Amino acid sequence: MRSLVGIGLLSAGVLMSAPAAAQDVEALRQELQQMRKQFEAMREGYEKAIDRLGERIQQLETRPQPAAATPAPPGLAPAPAVAQTAPADPPAIAATPLDLARPRQPFALYGNRGPGQLLFDMGVAGDFIGNLTQRNVDKANAGTFAGRENRFFPREIELALFGQIDPYARAEVRVEAGEEDQGEIALRLAEANLTLLSLPFNTQLKMGQMRNRFGLLNSIHEHDRNFIDAPNVLRWFLGEEGLVERGAELTWVAPLPFFLEALVGVFNGDNEDAFGRGKLSEPLVTGRLRTFFELGDAGAIQLGASVASGETTERHRNTLLGFDAKYKFTPVGWQHPLITLLGEMIYQIRRVNVLGEDTNGDGVPDTPDQTRVRNRWGWYAGGEVQPFQTGWLSRFGAGFRYDWTQYPVMRGREWAVGPFVSFSPSEFLRFRLGYKHTERATRDGFGDNESSARKVDEILFQATFILGAHPAHPF
Amino acid sequence: MRSPIRVTAIAILALVLGAPGLLPENAAAADKLRVVATTTDLKALTEAVGGDLVDVDSLARGNQNPHDLEVRPSLMVKVRRADLLVVNGLELDLWAEVVVQGANNPKVLPGAPGRVDASEGLLVLEVPTAKVDRSMGDVHPVGNPHYTMDPGMAAQITANILNGLVRLQPQSRPAFEKNRAAFLAAVEQAMGRWAATLAPFKGAKVVQYHPVFVYLFTRFGLVKGGAIEDRPGIPATPGHLSRLIQEMKQERIKLVVVEPWNDVKLAERVAGEAGAKVRVLAPSVGAVKEATSYLDTVDYNVRALADGLR
Repeated sequence: MRSLVGIGLLSAGVLMSAPAAAQDVEALRQELQQMRKQFEAMREGYEKAIDRLGERIQQLETRPQPAAATPAPPGLAPAPAVAQTAPADPPAIAATPLDLARPRQPFALYGNRGPGQLLFDMGVAGDFIGNLTQRNVDKANAGTFAGRENRFFPREIELALFGQIDPYARAEVRVEAGEEDQGEIALRLAEANLTLLSLPFNTQLKMGQMRNRFGLLNSIHEHDRNFIDAPNVLRWFLGEEGLVERGAELTWVAPLPFFLEALVGVFNGDNEDAFGRGKLSEPLVTGRLRTFFELGDAGAIQLGASVASGETTERHRNTLLGFDAKYKFTPVGWQHPLITLLGEMIYQIRRVNVLGEDTNGDGVPDTPDQTRVRNRWGWYAGGEVQPFQTGWLSRFGAGFRYDWTQYPVMRGREWAVGPFVSFSPSEFLRFRLGYKHTERATRDGFGDNESSARKVDEILFQATFILGAHPAHPF
Repeated sequence: MRSPIRVTAIAILALVLGAPGLLPENAAAADKLRVVATTTDLKALTEAVGGDLVDVDSLARGNQNPHDLEVRPSLMVKVRRADLLVVNGLELDLWAEVVVQGANNPKVLPGAPGRVDASEGLLVLEVPTAKVDRSMGDVHPVGNPHYTMDPGMAAQITANILNGLVRLQPQSRPAFEKNRAAFLAAVEQAMGRWAATLAPFKGAKVVQYHPVFVYLFTRFGLVKGGAIEDRPGIPATPGHLSRLIQEMKQERIKLVVVEPWNDVKLAERVAGEAGAKVRVLAPSVGAVKEATSYLDTVDYNVRALADGLR
């Protein structure tokens, strides 16, 4: 009888607890499922880590000089799991000049990278321009993009390869293709240079072909600039491609509590617009001083002064002085500047040939050929506002630029104003739409195909993309 | 009368040659190792190991997103003077290379003794196993780089930092090891408390704005439950948000976490529609006012998670 009662009570208990047990089972199943997933993820992670460590050990064993670090195993086991043991590495060596001079194998710099990966970075930047303007401007080839008026064209498709050569030097090579005249695509070497990073006295030497660090925008490629088109003063005084030279630049960062960088450069002088002598015996010599100040937590300003002095194709001295400033206001917590303002001024002291003039109209020059000094200058100022902090609206910006410049050799001057809006769906893609109005003091020099243009109105469009690696941009 | 150019040149030379002696910190910091870390987390961990023997500065501020820091020349001034540079690695702080290139300091070049990659030897999560491209957003091809907020990683990170410090100052090894041991003991002690605080929520799913806290979640048994960003670095579209809200409702996700520099209002709107709470977590030391030290920052995050999941 007792046993029957016992069985009855047990059965009742089991039956009564059935719904609760079912819930528990379901919860346990879910937890088990999650634990399985986590275990799988951890197993995969550990396998990869083991593989990586194996490869690293192999590498280290083949190195002539073993590395100091012997890391403790990672603690991903459930908490608490803090390894207290100090790493059992061989006695570390103090940094001496010999350390810097000791050869090291390049692959040691890329210990975290797997097999089959490149030991340098590679990226492609594409920059397309579209522009619409008046018929007479098109006919006279007198637009901002001379010879490509009323066209949509690739301005700069750039393949960039860059990285460390060895522990002491890095290199960058940039090859560009772009439309130079209607439908004609030109392929050119944009930059190819190496930088020695380990020189004494905090100096660096960059040599090869490079965009010179003259002023603010010259060293920046077109697709990375703040504006759709190059400022007029830069186009007039440095040419459409800017100052791209072959030679060497030495930089030095002063041991001061604020940033002060000094630069001197020696180049062939291959820029036909400004210099063009093309001989190291009569070199183009450049110099630049750059400083920077933080203005509180949000503001910052960079100031620079540049000089470039060389001989023109006419074998006369041309000296360009440049002054530039850039200001950014980035409120605390913002990931992009709210306001960016920048400007540059170039002053030219250039000796030019002047042919004798026929003052009485008899076809014979009445004044002799002579050389004269052309002291000319120009400037631009502009900026951009990105008024929204986060979300899709933060991808929009609006800006403007005002240009005023004299012409380097011929008489006259021009001014221009250009507002624009920009939209960047991501940091690798950007579109800009702008308008530019230019007024010239003279038609002389802007006539082609029996047409001319003194006033120019243009609608400009720019689409820029980046594929792959792209180094962060300085301030 | 001397030419203005000559006078200016002499003045600049005098300033440059005389300035190092005028620097106020120069005398005091002469015998200390000058360390620069790219983030405030690494600064805090380096201070924990280096103690009084190091003078540490960070390039990013705690309230700045370290993904794409603007490379200001003022950062180059810091690196210019550094004996040691501690980087996060895993491609979080690639901008530091541009800073180094502009600082003209060979001591901290890649591969030099004065360079520490704090991610060396860590088990990296979310390493892509298939081909990745930018259609997936701003993915990190070598894995999730936000490991510093997982206190379980402190042992390995500080081991890497210790190795770097010892390379430069071997005679101070006992002091560095003692500091590290004391710090890890404090982490160990706190770890028990943090684990107990989050134990009741094991298996709970949490939505993030950007996948910054995956290591922290994994450490304490929480599960990643979607992100407000459409894909890493890509702002959310209405369609994505609608799907996320639906998913949150179906899976009864109770919490959305967001970094202070992202769109907190959007996170609140999503959470509101899905019946969840929002908590602002500190992705780095100094990101919120309570996050004054490494331990305080983890403590703040653990409390915020527990509070939000309660």
